Amino acid sequence: MYAQVLTFGAAFLGSAVESVEALTIVLAVGLTRGWRSPLYGTLAALVALAILVAIFGQLIVAKVPETTLKLVIGTLIVLFGLRWLHKAVLRSAGVIALHDEAKSYAETVSEIQGTAARQDWVGFTIAMKGVFLEGLEVVFIVVAVGGTSGGIHIAVAGGLLAMIVVAAIGVVVRKPLAQVPENTMKYAVGVILTSLGTFWVAEGMGAVWPLDFVSVLGIAAIYFGASRVAVALITRPRPVPA
Amino acid sequence: MRFVRAAATEVVGLFVGDWAQTAVSVAILALGWFTLSHIHVNGLAFVVVVALAVQLVYATTIEARERVRRA
Repeated sequence: MYAQVLTFGAAFLGSAVESVEALTIVLAVGLTRGWRSPLYGTLAALVALAILVAIFGQLIVAKVPETTLKLVIGTLIVLFGLRWLHKAVLRSAGVIALHDEAKSYAETVSEIQGTAARQDWVGFTIAMKGVFLEGLEVVFIVVAVGGTSGGIHIAVAGGLLAMIVVAAIGVVVRKPLAQVPENTMKYAVGVILTSLGTFWVAEGMGAVWPLDFVSVLGIAAIYFGASRVAVALITRPRPVPA
Repeated sequence: MRFVRAAATEVVGLFVGDWAQTAVSVAILALGWFTLSHIHVNGLAFVVVVALAVQLVYATTIEARERVRRA
């Protein structure tokens, strides 16, 4: 039950964050150049991503032994999660800028301007590239977390639901979703993924966790605590030399 | 070709931000594997968690300091 909730949660939050970023690109192209090309580009990227999920999901579930799966994919999830957590700490401490959808939107619009002669091709390519690259992280989360927990369908459902919700909101508001707390969501996904990855990789190493899957909560508490310590250390005032 | 290169960079970038930090994380996991496969004590894996957490604190504070110095 816990595993299913965390699998769904990680896939939903991760997909929601990346969908918001992809939506910004599609909106920038669509509102500037018209909708036909960016929508085809988005569709092409989604088909490519779905193929990747189907291929790798099937391979992982059917071909890889459970211990190897936990060891290898668990390691990759730890590295992936730590990377998100690392960035979240630096953003929380104000060292790197928070992701700003309004700014991304403006940058994409300025990138498109001045390409009038090839506008259809440019609109298609930019939307496809943006959605595909943002979607790669979702594919990894869905396949890795879903495959390792044995709940690939739950992970796919979480990812798809987030995408549909974000797309629906995008259709209604027709502007970048700058109010979505993307950085907080990325922080949460970083903690969840690092915790799940560590749990599975240790199981793959032959470790026994006290209280089995409930230990993930303890692991998450340690990572969250460490990240807050890091933020506090980075933001503490430095002593002024006498 | 540029798209393929961007996708490849994106895939590597999913797991590696700073190669040194990644190497330390992998080294912690490798050491944990060696230890956990020989010593079967309930909860010993939390040592790996603490080591990775300490590594996170160290790597982020170092990077923050470097960025501030550069700025």
